[in-house]
Amino acid sequence: MAPKLPPQPPLQHSNTAVADSQSHGHAAPPKGILRWLLTTNHKEIGSLYLIFSLTMFFIGGIFALVVRAELFQPGLQLVEPEFFNQMTTMHGLIMVFAAVMPAFTGLANWMIPLQIGAPDMALPRLNNFSFWLLPVAFTLLLSTLFMPGGGPNFGWTFYAPLSTTYAPPSTTFFILALHIAGISSILGAINIIATILNMRAPGMRLMDMPLFVWTWLITAFLLIAVMPVLAGVITMMLMDINFGTSFFDAAGGGDPVLFQHLFWFFGHPEVYIMILPAFGIVSAIIPTFARKPLFGYASMVYATAAIALLSFLVWAHHMFIVGLPLVAELFFMYSTMLIAVPTGVKVFNWVTTLFRGSISFESPMLFSLAFVVLFTIGGFSGLMLAIAPADFQYHDTYFVVAHFHYVLVPGAIFAIMAGVYYWLPKWTGHYPNEKLAQWHFWFSIIGVNLTFFPMHFAGLAGMPRRIPDYALQFADFNLLSSIGAFFFGASQLLFVLVVILCVRGGKKAPAKAWEGAEDLEWTVPSPAPLHTFETPPVFHRASH
Amino acid sequence: MWTVVKSVLAALLGVQNNRNRQEDFSSDKPGVYIATGVVITLLFVLLLVFLATLAAR
Amino acid sequence: MRSRCWWLLVMTFAASGSQAQTNGWNMPVGVTDVSGDIYGLHMTIFWICVVIGVLVFGAMFYSLFRYRHSKGAKAANFHEHTSVEVLWTAIPILILVGMAVPATATLKNMYDASDAELDVMITGQQWRWRYEYLGEDVAFTSNMSTPRAQISGEEARGEHYLLEVDEPLVLPTDRKVRFLMTSDDVIHSWWVPDLAVKQDTIPGFINENWVKINEPGIYRGQCAELCGIDHGFMPVVVHAMEEEEFDGWLAERKAAAEEEAMGVDREWEMEELVERGESVYQSICSSCHQAEGQGSPPAFPALANNEQLISDVDWHLDKVINGVSGAAMPAFRSTLNPVELAAVVTYTRNAWGNDTGDVVQPSEVAELIAQ
Repeated sequence: MAPKLPPQPPLQHSNTAVADSQSHGHAAPPKGILRWLLTTNHKEIGSLYLIFSLTMFFIGGIFALVVRAELFQPGLQLVEPEFFNQMTTMHGLIMVFAAVMPAFTGLANWMIPLQIGAPDMALPRLNNFSFWLLPVAFTLLLSTLFMPGGGPNFGWTFYAPLSTTYAPPSTTFFILALHIAGISSILGAINIIATILNMRAPGMRLMDMPLFVWTWLITAFLLIAVMPVLAGVITMMLMDINFGTSFFDAAGGGDPVLFQHLFWFFGHPEVYIMILPAFGIVSAIIPTFARKPLFGYASMVYATAAIALLSFLVWAHHMFIVGLPLVAELFFMYSTMLIAVPTGVKVFNWVTTLFRGSISFESPMLFSLAFVVLFTIGGFSGLMLAIAPADFQYHDTYFVVAHFHYVLVPGAIFAIMAGVYYWLPKWTGHYPNEKLAQWHFWFSIIGVNLTFFPMHFAGLAGMPRRIPDYALQFADFNLLSSIGAFFFGASQLLFVLVVILCVRGGKKAPAKAWEGAEDLEWTVPSPAPLHTFETPPVFHRASH
Repeated sequence: MWTVVKSVLAALLGVQNNRNRQEDFSSDKPGVYIATGVVITLLFVLLLVFLATLAAR
Repeated sequence: MRSRCWWLLVMTFAASGSQAQTNGWNMPVGVTDVSGDIYGLHMTIFWICVVIGVLVFGAMFYSLFRYRHSKGAKAANFHEHTSVEVLWTAIPILILVGMAVPATATLKNMYDASDAELDVMITGQQWRWRYEYLGEDVAFTSNMSTPRAQISGEEARGEHYLLEVDEPLVLPTDRKVRFLMTSDDVIHSWWVPDLAVKQDTIPGFINENWVKINEPGIYRGQCAELCGIDHGFMPVVVHAMEEEEFDGWLAERKAAAEEEAMGVDREWEMEELVERGESVYQSICSSCHQAEGQGSPPAFPALANNEQLISDVDWHLDKVINGVSGAAMPAFRSTLNPVELAAVVTYTRNAWGNDTGDVVQPSEVAELIAQ
């Protein structure tokens, strides 16, 4: 991180914080459930987001374990194909929209005001509303599992006409749930942009912002650009299902491929929405524990912008086998291969940050290092998938499943966990139990690789994705994956244990909880009081 | 003008040094950078379309 | 730790791979020139990734080991180096250009379906494939033949579990065959790894692909695009024959089709129709309406003891011939011939306690279709 902050007396801050909260005469917060329903405080809303996300992570995880249990050996043992399809679909939807995205929004709520020296988010009531839309949306979505005909069973990509003409009756509820979640995302993004652009501490320019703030700023713009596209495409589905239109129904003159173009025009930037904030978290943690400024801060920002821009130009690489014209295949192959360049720049920068550092291996660092390695492996398989002719073999196989789980689980989710371990001392005033956290790390890394690495082989050997039963030559890979999945799932209970223990007690953390940490959040006391930075801090830029 | 184009190209590659970005970000006119960025993106798309068309022949 | 993990897995699968029939854990080289090219591209990009990975992770693990805080490493304070950054941007671009050139050539070849000697129409249907040799009057559907008892585990699973069909697609070797691909309902994807052909079949679209098989043999694949409940039970089997053998097979099928067409005009006995109808029902209808006609409501209504079906033969015929718009029931007017249609309707009207005693003659059905 380029800007070096001079040591600031934390005590003084805590005094002003307390004094301010008294002088402003904040009304006593309502007690019990109402306090959480009505809160407009960015820290409380951040916590709500994180708790919600963790809950959904376990619900989505249970769905995944149902899938893995059925795939443990050939044959149909536990569930019917119909329910299997509902599980794969719900697993994807819940993990993407209810676990990963809200986790990043939660971290943004907590950390962006602290990192830019703002007292709160720019639009606190809107913030409350964006959060409380989520439980509504996902209660609605989960309730479809209990409806006649079952829940969504057409995959998280819900390709028409399987999701329109041939869909279960509950699909309309699925559409409304996604609409509500989409509104929540857009409002959250607006709030984040407004906060970052208007509420930075005096003296902090855009190029002085921590990378987590930068990546979230760019992510927020991506969200505003593509969530309306998703809203559009699901509204077209709604019309096809309920009002007799034929947007995607070939029999009525519609175009099923149009659905895929629209979906992936949303879907590919969505992939980067789920990874850019992870880049930001890792770019904060690696310099802290290497005790050395981030290599190529400017390049990191530029590379993030480049990745965001390119993400709008590559959507049809998800559609190499739908029969695009040759010119389109070539265009999307070239543009997709180019994404490897800025992504590579980021990985090189992280590695160079480590070079000649002074490195220690606390749990946030371990998760971040695993992120760099395993995300890069996911990037490699992504590069392979970009080669259009080879994609004719890879497409819709377990190779693709392995690829996107490598970027999402040890990518996005490890980064989220790294961020949680990194900032828990700031949130709770206690260090997480390091020993348990290290166990959690090693279990997770074994589990994740055991689950997802064999999937590469299964896919290359010819196993299609989303099948409830498989030919006998895929049995070994699936057995390993299933064992790994249960191991990984169970080890996440350790994470919950560490977090609960940390909230209830543990080694006291000072304001600057990590020796090498540099950003503004480390100038307020640990735990951060409910109201911080009510008078803006003075931001001193590093001089180079 | 040339420095603006250079900065935008650097952004496209994801490589920039600190001195140049200090210059970029001390400019008061982000509009110029954004406009140049849009134009260069369009040119980039056209270049790829051209290459793809050429290759497909 | 990563690399050790990787090698462990590779060793594990090198050992276990031998028991799988073909290539245990890598993409098959396949039996066409295109599949060989694709395999080459796949291995090239794979080794490029391995080399880059060794360099990057090597540098990373060296730094992690060498600059440990616990060993008293002092941090340097550099944070940019423009020429290094330009270098590590330029090198990947060159590698990518080097990769794009052969990939472009292969792709152009794959898109060139001109000069084909045989056209086969492939139609995806929930959950079977229909093959039509265009201009040859030969057409048939291909259903999975693995018994349900094997899936549920009541019987031992066979060697080609889930990858076997009642009638494979028969193709000649050494002849360029063009595929025209479409779908009657949802999107499917026709895939045979050894032929390196994977193409979506999309309702309302006709996609094109081609294959020129170098070696006779039986090649197996599956539907690759989620298409509903039985997506996992929709195998593709291609039987590639030497050219003369194929020509003989095609002539035989043509003769059989002509004979079947003659059968429309004669009067059929009920037993004949029921027998024929049962086999049609089990291969076509049972995946949705279930083996005993019990259906799986609400999507797939029961046929056994279905009041409307029992009371109204015209309604029943209409649904089978023309399908139900807006629902999963397809129109079978072009998929099945009049004999098969009459047989399956007769069978369903007399099975599972539906004992209506109705006999529908193929000639009646032919008349209905003609209207």
